[in-house]
Amino acid sequence: MRYARAALAALGLAAIGYAVVGAAGDRDVVPARHAGFLATVLVLHDGVLLPAIIAVGVLVHFLVPPPYRATVQSALLATAAVTVVALPLVLGYGRIADNPSALPRDYAYGLLTVLAVVWLAAAVALLVRAARRR
Amino acid sequence: MLRAPFRRLIDPALPTPPDAFRRGPFRAGVFRSALRSERLTSQLGLWLGIAFGTCFLTGLISHLIQHPPGWFWWPSRPVWLYRATQGIHVATGLATVPLLGAKLWSVYPRLFTWPPARTVVHTLERGSVAVLVAAALFQVVTGILNVARWYTPMGFFFTTAHYWTAWLAIGALLLHIAVQLPVIRRGLADRAPEPATGGLSRRGLLATVAGSAVLITVATAGETVPALNAVSVLGPRRPDTGPQHLPVNTSARNAQVVAAATDPAYRLRISGPAGTRLLSLADLDALPQHTASLPIACVEGWSADAVWTGIRVADLLALVGVPDGNAQVLVESLQQHSRYASSILAPPHARDPLTLLARKLHGQPLALDHGYPLRLIAPNRPGVLQTKCVAALTAADR
Repeated sequence: MRYARAALAALGLAAIGYAVVGAAGDRDVVPARHAGFLATVLVLHDGVLLPAIIAVGVLVHFLVPPPYRATVQSALLATAAVTVVALPLVLGYGRIADNPSALPRDYAYGLLTVLAVVWLAAAVALLVRAARRR
Repeated sequence: MLRAPFRRLIDPALPTPPDAFRRGPFRAGVFRSALRSERLTSQLGLWLGIAFGTCFLTGLISHLIQHPPGWFWWPSRPVWLYRATQGIHVATGLATVPLLGAKLWSVYPRLFTWPPARTVVHTLERGSVAVLVAAALFQVVTGILNVARWYTPMGFFFTTAHYWTAWLAIGALLLHIAVQLPVIRRGLADRAPEPATGGLSRRGLLATVAGSAVLITVATAGETVPALNAVSVLGPRRPDTGPQHLPVNTSARNAQVVAAATDPAYRLRISGPAGTRLLSLADLDALPQHTASLPIACVEGWSADAVWTGIRVADLLALVGVPDGNAQVLVESLQQHSRYASSILAPPHARDPLTLLARKLHGQPLALDHGYPLRLIAPNRPGVLQTKCVAALTAADR
């Protein structure tokens, strides 16, 4: 295991070095913007998004009794994941007037449809659980 | 293992900050979820490693096809191979969202380790984790933005940024696995009974992550899997929507080729060992016409089947002294000032009888947006290399 770890670490450092040297030598790369975007996604995730998700988790802990909590947590997790993927589509800044084949759907409707499926499934699971407990 | 005195010499301890600074999330016992465990993190990490490995390899294939080094060889068959690798690249990246989110949540308390920096090596190791997390988030976020064609927030050229950050992410990932390997092995082997959480169990969380990934895939993969088109309500494309029922990435107006493409004086220039020929549209239509069913497979992950009719590139090359299309061919567009204004057709594609300069799509004259008067369509190539509004073919000496 010791040699495997050393080999993995050496490979990893080589790849990191290749990335840094390659990006530095690529005229298409704007180092400040690239590094700025790396730092921005890190800070927004660790400093805003994840704390917000944990805050919602705390709320669920206090508001939802244990037998129902897991289902609500599952539905919230699926909601968050689907929303992250869908949000740029819903905002639709990628649409251009002379190319109707780019982003051709109504993505707000699409997102609501997916979330409706998630929460309908959650509601059924909660009702079944409630019925069994009686 | 290194002896303690020697270890202290090469990895000196750093001072611990005063306890007065240990506030907020740095306090002990702030993060209380009983769901977090080495086993959970190891399992999520294993899945995430597989997902990142898949994205890295499929992305590397796409990069090498577009910027082939001397040693690289890419076949023209099977015709669907690039469609599959790039479809998997984008679908895996989107499905990674819940997985990456859960993994980072499971290790979030470690961000507030106390003391923050024990030794020099400890500090470097934490720095490499920050690089890994930043690079992983960068890849997923820029990928999602690019699929949604929302370039403004990026402020840089997506393709090269995504490529170099992929090397950063995979390197930092290998380093992270090297550091954590004993913990990963312990976590995966752990069979101890798990504490009650009052909510989701470890298995429940893993099932939710997997279920969310499936949901995202079903909701988007219709852009490349025709059977899912009806249910993919979040697909960034519809394979049947666009001019002549086929999507396009750049319109003719946007590419500023309308005047040149509709000029009656248009001639296709073909150059090879036997000289140069200029062919009018009437000359081209007098040559043997062939029909091929080939997908357009975009780097953005969408793809669509289409039926193309036109002249075999191998037949055109024969007119200028290239037997059997056995040459590397420069394909130039009427479009100016674009990265994708020309492409290199490697010998396997140049000689493939399915490789056409198409005049028709689905039996109708090619629309301007699909590259009128003449566009390249070859099997097993990314859409950006299927040069539209072709102006010239130049066979390189072999």
